[in-house]
Amino acid sequence: MAATSKTGQNVRGALLTACGLLGIGGAQAQATEIKGAVLGYTEPDRVSAIETVVDVAHTFAGGQGLNFKLVYDGLTGASANGAVPWTDYQTFTRPSGAGSYQADPEQTPLDDTFRDSRVALSGGASLPWGRLSTVSAGLYGSGEHDYMSLGANLALSRDFNKRNTTVALRGAMFHDTINPEGGRPTPFGIMTPAGSELARLDGDGTKDIMDLGLSLTQTINRSTIAHLSYTFSQVDGYQTDPYKLLSVVNPETGAPGHYVFEKRPDSRAKHVLLAKLNHHLSRDIVRLSYRFMTDDWGVNSHTIDLEYRLKMGEHRYLEPSVRWYTQSEADFYRRFLLESEALPLDASADYRLGDMQTWAWGLKHGRRLGNGHDLTVRGVYYRQSGESHPAEAVGALRDLDLFPTVEAFIFQVGYSFGT
Amino acid sequence: MNTDSRSRLGRCALWLLLALLLPVLLTGCAGSMGVQPWERDLLAQPGMAIDPDPIQTALNEHIFFSKEASTGGLGTAGGGCGCN
Repeated sequence: MAATSKTGQNVRGALLTACGLLGIGGAQAQATEIKGAVLGYTEPDRVSAIETVVDVAHTFAGGQGLNFKLVYDGLTGASANGAVPWTDYQTFTRPSGAGSYQADPEQTPLDDTFRDSRVALSGGASLPWGRLSTVSAGLYGSGEHDYMSLGANLALSRDFNKRNTTVALRGAMFHDTINPEGGRPTPFGIMTPAGSELARLDGDGTKDIMDLGLSLTQTINRSTIAHLSYTFSQVDGYQTDPYKLLSVVNPETGAPGHYVFEKRPDSRAKHVLLAKLNHHLSRDIVRLSYRFMTDDWGVNSHTIDLEYRLKMGEHRYLEPSVRWYTQSEADFYRRFLLESEALPLDASADYRLGDMQTWAWGLKHGRRLGNGHDLTVRGVYYRQSGESHPAEAVGALRDLDLFPTVEAFIFQVGYSFGT
Repeated sequence: MNTDSRSRLGRCALWLLLALLLPVLLTGCAGSMGVQPWERDLLAQPGMAIDPDPIQTALNEHIFFSKEASTGGLGTAGGGCGCN
């Protein structure tokens, strides 16, 4: 009897879905969905962050949609400043030029004044265009004490083949403004002692970002769906990190003689290919994705993501996941510069532009509560590693860890409900 | 695993996925693949969405954007913050 009732529900569900997809049965019901999440992120001895998101989406009877999202995040702690470790104490001037901080012997120099908060607000609308197409547009704005970003996006999607195939075209533009503490240091300018005058560039730094994307989603059979997308992104303008330094070292001993501010190219073109495959195993669900990115900075990266949703009863699931990522270093990535060499055109010692691989192991638990609301809890262990003793190390730098492994722990709670 | 081995592994994964997906997608576009509307019961489940949890995706992207040199592919990334 129970089995018959469940079969009946499945049949009714399938028929309702089918009618909805075919546009049969009149106007859609109005619905509002509210989602929220809080995420905590911590790297032992380095950065900690907390991020809060609230997302409200409303669908009108005619199929039009409106959505708003508010994000707040706060960061604090220490961040690698780019200089190499050394066998003795090293003293650095704070980015503002006022005050200084010290790095212990054999320790990666960390700027411990990293503190910021960000508020981001975005909103969008979507409109059905005929029976098979949807147009959507949105606006975005975010602000930090030294950074502002404004953006707009537009997308068009169309269904084909009894809605088994969806093609979407999307574009987005952003204009970012950076106004670092104390102003932007002159590229390759020498870090001077605290309180002394440092050469700075005039005005704020700006950059413009244009994203264009094309995607194809295809239902393969009753239990499998595939998605393929290509995105081109062009970034023009100031992309240097004004807080990052390079050590200029003695070519024989490796001892840092002085420190200079980094300089990155003012143009970057990226190509991103993403493939996803979701498969329903009649009870559980497995999702696999692969992303390839290449850019004209010389960075090539591969990302593989695997998630397995293990159904535990009617309203609960457990979802282990693993993500593997690897990237090659940017052409201008240098762990340090040599006193004996001429300055290159561009150079950055930011380890995030270096050769690295990362792993992220996650576990998520989701359940529907008695009131019909959804609650999710997620934990992730993240680990970054690279070449600690590169061949180009000189003098005493050969014995120091030039790429210490970075570990992070992520914890997230999500809550959502519909009205 | 060194850089060359990882690059080779990544390239192999790319070609394998393309080899699997492209014929599938091209056949699908030709209309010979897919399901009838009443066969969407499994596909309609939230866990089968291409992005089943957009908030989680956005939070992940923000973290990885600030820790790695790659972004994009999972929506219109870009802009955002000065953390990279």
